[in-house]
Amino acid sequence: MKLLRQTLLLLRKDLLLELRRHESLMTMFFFGAQLLFVFNFSFELTPARVSELAPGLLWLAFLFTGTLGLTQLFEGERGNHCLDALLMSPIDRGALFLAKTCFNIFLMGLVELVVMPLFWILFSLPSWQPLPALFLIVFLGNVGFCVLGTILAAVTLKARARELLLPLVLFPLMVPVILATIRCMEALLRFGELGDALPWLRLLIGFDVIFLTVGILIFDWVVDV
Amino acid sequence: MPQVTGKKRKGILGAATLVFIIAGLYWGLVKAPPDAYQGDSQRIMYLHIPSILIAYLSFFLVFVGSCLYLWKREKRDDNLAYGAAEIGVLFTALTIVEGSIWGRPTWGVWWTWDARLTLTAILLLIFIGYLMLRALVEDESRAASSAAILGIIGFLDIPLIHMSVYWWRTLHQPPSILRPDKVPWENIHPELLTALAINFVAFVLLYFYMLSLRLRLGEMHEEIKARRMR
Amino acid sequence: MRVTVHQLAKAYGYFWALRDLEIQVAGGERVALLGPNGAGKTTLLNLLAGLIYPTRGEIRFDGAPLTRQSNAQRAAIGLLSPGEHLYDDLTARENLEFFTALYDRQRGPINIDNAIEETLEAVGLGRWAGEYAGALSSGMKCRLSVAKWKLLSPKLLLLDEPYGVLDGGGVDLLESFLKAQSEQGSVVIIASHHVARVLDLCTRAMILEQGKLIFDETRREPWDSFARAFGAFTPGGNR
Repeated sequence: MKLLRQTLLLLRKDLLLELRRHESLMTMFFFGAQLLFVFNFSFELTPARVSELAPGLLWLAFLFTGTLGLTQLFEGERGNHCLDALLMSPIDRGALFLAKTCFNIFLMGLVELVVMPLFWILFSLPSWQPLPALFLIVFLGNVGFCVLGTILAAVTLKARARELLLPLVLFPLMVPVILATIRCMEALLRFGELGDALPWLRLLIGFDVIFLTVGILIFDWVVDV
Repeated sequence: MPQVTGKKRKGILGAATLVFIIAGLYWGLVKAPPDAYQGDSQRIMYLHIPSILIAYLSFFLVFVGSCLYLWKREKRDDNLAYGAAEIGVLFTALTIVEGSIWGRPTWGVWWTWDARLTLTAILLLIFIGYLMLRALVEDESRAASSAAILGIIGFLDIPLIHMSVYWWRTLHQPPSILRPDKVPWENIHPELLTALAINFVAFVLLYFYMLSLRLRLGEMHEEIKARRMR
Repeated sequence: MRVTVHQLAKAYGYFWALRDLEIQVAGGERVALLGPNGAGKTTLLNLLAGLIYPTRGEIRFDGAPLTRQSNAQRAAIGLLSPGEHLYDDLTARENLEFFTALYDRQRGPINIDNAIEETLEAVGLGRWAGEYAGALSSGMKCRLSVAKWKLLSPKLLLLDEPYGVLDGGGVDLLESFLKAQSEQGSVVIIASHHVARVLDLCTRAMILEQGKLIFDETRREPWDSFARAFGAFTPGGNR
């Protein structure tokens, strides 16, 4: 309960600061939207091909925007050494991990809520039906991405060139999430149901649960000098 | 029994490594018969299989060293993780190169997105990320603890990566001709197994020889540091 | 509160910022931490605050080692550096609300909202309570820091050069707060270059030089021996 209360307190603070600073959400959104244009120039997305490529392209766009969010995640705590203030306070460090993770999941979710329909409009996909289910899969992908991403964002916090280093260490570890999310999205787009992709969904949820737990347990050491 | 010094122990380890490598080369290149289908190109397996096993062993040691370091904060444990990662990069890269050399005559291509190749490449990327992180964090204790976290997470992630990459190649695509067949252990020539076993021992010895040198190097760094301290 | 430092050493690269420090401070003491730039004052404060990890040695609070801080230990330690550790994009009041909630002071016997308003008034920030902390002048920010620690009332209060930006009224405010804290049994440690001021306030003085403790004495009126030792590093003083 205490963990939850502290998490909400920190999350509320992060949302309030984002509301006032507009640092992450806008850049993430416009970057995601821009990627759609870049994809169009690079792939010649005819209606026939677009259904096939949509899962990969969309998830790629979300992966990049999510990384953008992660590199900003602790940036707001840098001014006035506010991160030190949090680390000196008697909160559970797991709460700090959860709050930062939830914050990035929330930002990614907001971006996706706009970018996905935009993709459907821009590339005139035939059916809007699978969209809600796709959102759900993408959300589970976000969770996996953000839990591991938050740990690594904190790990790379004191490194030089950390914005470049973060994706470098993050992406290889993210392979299960990337594969699972895309396979599930593919199945949904092609057949309207998960079918054979069900094991992938289980893998994705498993990844989320494992690293969420690991994150809460290990974050004490992550932020500790 | 006379006291065996560290130096002497290393000498013995080095000599044993050399003997086993020579024996392994002899067995692998001369004594073992060529493979019925693949001919002589199959002989690279005597290096290939031990190297990938060593790469996995490295990952495990990085994990062990990382856990110990976070627990006890002993520089020695961090050195173990660091050294294992460095040698791990070497053997992982070696595995990929050997696989490529073998793949060219066997599959007709240098590289294919086969599950094992992909997995090895991902392992290499994780190792490289680990070393990059170490190089880019200036504060020493901070670098060690950051790297330890990455070492632990990387190790925990491997089963999931393994699973996903294999499913990706089997569930998603029909098995292709390029997929290497599983080794049929029961039909294998005993000389082949002997050659493999000798080479495996040689690689393990080589690994621990290199690791002991690397650990000594770490100690020497510490000694130099202690002397230069103002 | 009793702070014990045993064989404490911290190295940065090839350089000992602190070495073999032996310090014992009991509750109620106000310690002036003096020394030239680079003597290791901030390093010591950061070590005590748990922000950095010692290369060797240990720190104990009431006998319990600090190496892996418990939440209870963290709650008892405060580090006041002027202008630091406040969110620029939260208002003065929101900053105090956030930190009191973080330190779980919301559910005490006193009404925390009233306490926040009173404290803001007391440090002279009543009119600016609704302004963003980033918009406050550095002196007012420092007053806000004082308000923060006044509300959180730590058992060990560390201050890193608090005098620089405060006006006369601010200094009086800070000093009466520090006296009140130590009278309640807290340990107060102040690193500063404003020697006259800080000596006037403190009951004990320590001088660090090149990472070593070269002077440590409890106040006896007047500061005779101290004045002699202090000559070691004042500008124009001879060794």
